[in-house]
Amino acid sequence: MDRDIYLIGLNHKTASVEVREKFALTDCKHLEPGVVPVEGCIKEAMVLSTCNRVELIVVGEGDGVINHVIKCWADARGQRVDDLEPYVYKHKGLEAVQHLFTVASSLDSLVVGEPQILGQLKTAYHEAVDRNATRVILNRLLHKAFSVAKRVRTETGVASSAVSISYAAVELAKRIFGDMGEYTAMLIGAGEMAELAATHLLNNGIKKIYVANRTFERGQLLAEQFNGEAIAFSDLFTQLEKVDIIISSTGAHEAVIRAKDIRTVLKKRKNRPMFFIDIAVPRDIDPDVNALDNVYLYDIDDLKEVVEENLAQRQEEAQKARAIVESETQTFSKWLRSLELQPTIVDLVNRSENIVEEELIKCMKRLEGANGETEKILRCAMTAVAKKMNHEPISFLKRRHEEEEAGDRYIDITRRMFNLDDDPVRADAHGHRRKKH
Amino acid sequence: MNLSELFSLLIIVLYALGTLFIIAGTALRKDPLKKLSNWSAVAGFGLHSAMLLFAMVGSDFDLSKGYYIQFLSWSLLFIYFFLWWRMRLSFLGLTAAPLAMLLFIGSFTLTTVQGKLPEEWTGMFFGLHIGTLFLSFGLLAMAFGAGLIFIRLERKIKSKEQLTEFDKDMPALATFDRVNHVAVMAGFPLYTIGMASGFIWARLAWGRLLSADPKEIVSIFVWFVFAWLFHQRLTAGWRGRKAAKAVIWLFAISVFSLIGINVFMPTHHSFIQ
Repeated sequence: MDRDIYLIGLNHKTASVEVREKFALTDCKHLEPGVVPVEGCIKEAMVLSTCNRVELIVVGEGDGVINHVIKCWADARGQRVDDLEPYVYKHKGLEAVQHLFTVASSLDSLVVGEPQILGQLKTAYHEAVDRNATRVILNRLLHKAFSVAKRVRTETGVASSAVSISYAAVELAKRIFGDMGEYTAMLIGAGEMAELAATHLLNNGIKKIYVANRTFERGQLLAEQFNGEAIAFSDLFTQLEKVDIIISSTGAHEAVIRAKDIRTVLKKRKNRPMFFIDIAVPRDIDPDVNALDNVYLYDIDDLKEVVEENLAQRQEEAQKARAIVESETQTFSKWLRSLELQPTIVDLVNRSENIVEEELIKCMKRLEGANGETEKILRCAMTAVAKKMNHEPISFLKRRHEEEEAGDRYIDITRRMFNLDDDPVRADAHGHRRKKH
Repeated sequence: MNLSELFSLLIIVLYALGTLFIIAGTALRKDPLKKLSNWSAVAGFGLHSAMLLFAMVGSDFDLSKGYYIQFLSWSLLFIYFFLWWRMRLSFLGLTAAPLAMLLFIGSFTLTTVQGKLPEEWTGMFFGLHIGTLFLSFGLLAMAFGAGLIFIRLERKIKSKEQLTEFDKDMPALATFDRVNHVAVMAGFPLYTIGMASGFIWARLAWGRLLSADPKEIVSIFVWFVFAWLFHQRLTAGWRGRKAAKAVIWLFAISVFSLIGINVFMPTHHSFIQ
C-alpha cells in the first residue's frame, strides 16, 4: 500500500510576509469545503494557517499527491503554481510526522516556545473534523501531536524564557509590576518593534496605551490600532505622570528624557515604579534615569543581552525537546505500520496465547496432584476456546480490509479494543467529540 | 509523656515538615511540595491553637513554659495564613514556617526555669498588650522576608543581572512592596495600641508609667522608627527599596528587643521569672 502522510507548507523561514499573505488560507469563510477536497487520491486533509505559516497535512495515495495539493492551494488563492512552488517545503511519511510534532511543540515558531501555535493547531484540527475530512490516521496523528506538545512543555524549559526583544521587555515588565491589569503604557515614537511590544502588552492585559508622536496624526493612527489614546508630544512630561511603562523609539539625535525630568515626575506620582524601555538608536533616554529609585531602564543592548542569555539556556532545552519529538515520531511510526492487517492478527493471536498461559499456571497451582496429562488437556481446551473467540473478529477484519475505506478504521478499533499497543487512555481523549452530542 | 508534651512534639514535627517542604519545593520548583508544606503548617497550627487554648482555660498545662514565645510563634503563622488567604502569597511560607518552628522550639529552652504567670498579666490587657504587639511582630516578620527577597530581585533587575530559576519563580516586585505596605499600615497601629496598653497596664499594676526598663526604652525607640516609616510611606510615597530596608532594620531591632532583652537582661518583661 503506498498510502502515506504528506505535509506541504511554507513558513516565516521560507517565505517573506508578502508571499505568506498571498498564500494565506486564514479566512475560513473563503475555505470552501476544504482547500484540498477529500476525494480521489486524497484520503484525509487539514489546513493550518497562521500569520507565520501555512501547512497542509494530508493522507494520500499515489505519486501525484504533492502536486495535486500544491495545485489546490494555488487555485484556492487564485494564484499560479509556479509562484508558490519555490517557497514550499514538502515532507512525506515520518518526516512529515516529525515536522508536525516540531511545529506543535513550538520549536519551529518565530518566538520559539510561544504557546499560541498549539491553540491554532487545535482549532485547525477541529475545523477539519467538523468538515469530516479526517479519519483514523490524522485523528491519531493530531492527538499525538497535542500530547507531544504537552510533554515538551512540561518536561523541558523551552517555553519558559523569552527570545524576542519585545517579548523580553514585556516579561521584565511582569517581573516588576506583576498583573498588568492596573497599569498603563506609553509609546513615544512609533516603529515596528515598539508596536510589537505594545501588542504583547495588550495581550497581557495592560489597562491602556498612550501614544505620543511628533506627528500627531501618525500617533492617532497608531493609538487607534491599540484602542489607545494619542497625546501631543509637547504634553509628554505632564502625561508621563500617569504611565507606568514607557517604550521609546523616536528618531531623535539626543536624549528626549533626562533624569532631572523624571525626578519631578516621580515626586508627582509618589514614587510609583516606572519602567523605561528604550529601543531607539541613538538612545532616547538618559542612562542616568536608571539610577533613580523605583525606576528601571532597559535599552536595546540590555534587552539583547537578556534575549541572548535566554537563547543560550534554550539551546539545551531545545535539544531535549527534539529528543522527545524524535522518540514520539518513532512510536507513531510503529503504530502506523501496525495498521496493516497481518501484524494485527499476529498481535491478537499472541495476546490470547499469553492469556491462556497465564491462566493455565494459575489453574495448575490450584489443582492438587495434577500431572502432565491434566495440563495437556487443559491447555488444549483453553487454546480451543481462545481460537474460537478469535475466529470471528479475524475473519471480520479480513472482510473489512478488502473494502477501501473501512480497513484502517476497523484495524485501529481492534487494536484499541484489545489494547494491543498497551496505550494508556487519557481521560479527555475524545472530549471534543462528546461535546457535540 | 503527658498530653502537653505529645502535643508539643507533634507540633514541632509538623512545623519541621512544613519548613522542609517549603524549602525543598522552592529549590526543586515543585508546587505539590509547597502545598504539602502549607498543609503541614496548617495541621501544626491547628494543634498549636488548641494547645494555647487549653493552656489558657485549663490547669493541666503550665502557662509559664515559654508560653509567650509559643504565642508569638502562633501569631506569626496567623499573619502568614491571613496574607496567604488574602493575597495568595505562598512564598512567605519561606519566612513563616522556619521562624515559627524555631520560636516554638526556642520556647522550650525556657522551661529550665520554672515560674508562674504574674498575677497582673491577665485580663483584658493580655489580649491588648501581648496580642497586638505579637501580631505586629508577625507582620514585620513577613515584611522582613519579603524585603530580603525584594532587595535581591530589585538589585538584579536594576543591574541587569541574569536571573536564576529561583528568582523567576518569585512574584513581581510590586507584590513584595504590597506586603511591606500591609505590614506597615496594619502593623504600626497595632504596635501603637500594644505600647499604649502597656503603659496603662504598668500604671495600673505598678502605679507608674515608665520604669526605665531596658525593654521600654527599646520599644519606644522602635515606635519612633515605625512611626517615621508609617509617615514616609503614607505621605512621602516611600516604597520599594527604602521601605524594604527600613522594615528589615525594624525587624532586627524587634528581634533583639524580644530575645536579647527578655531573656538576657534584668527586666520586668523577662520570660524567666
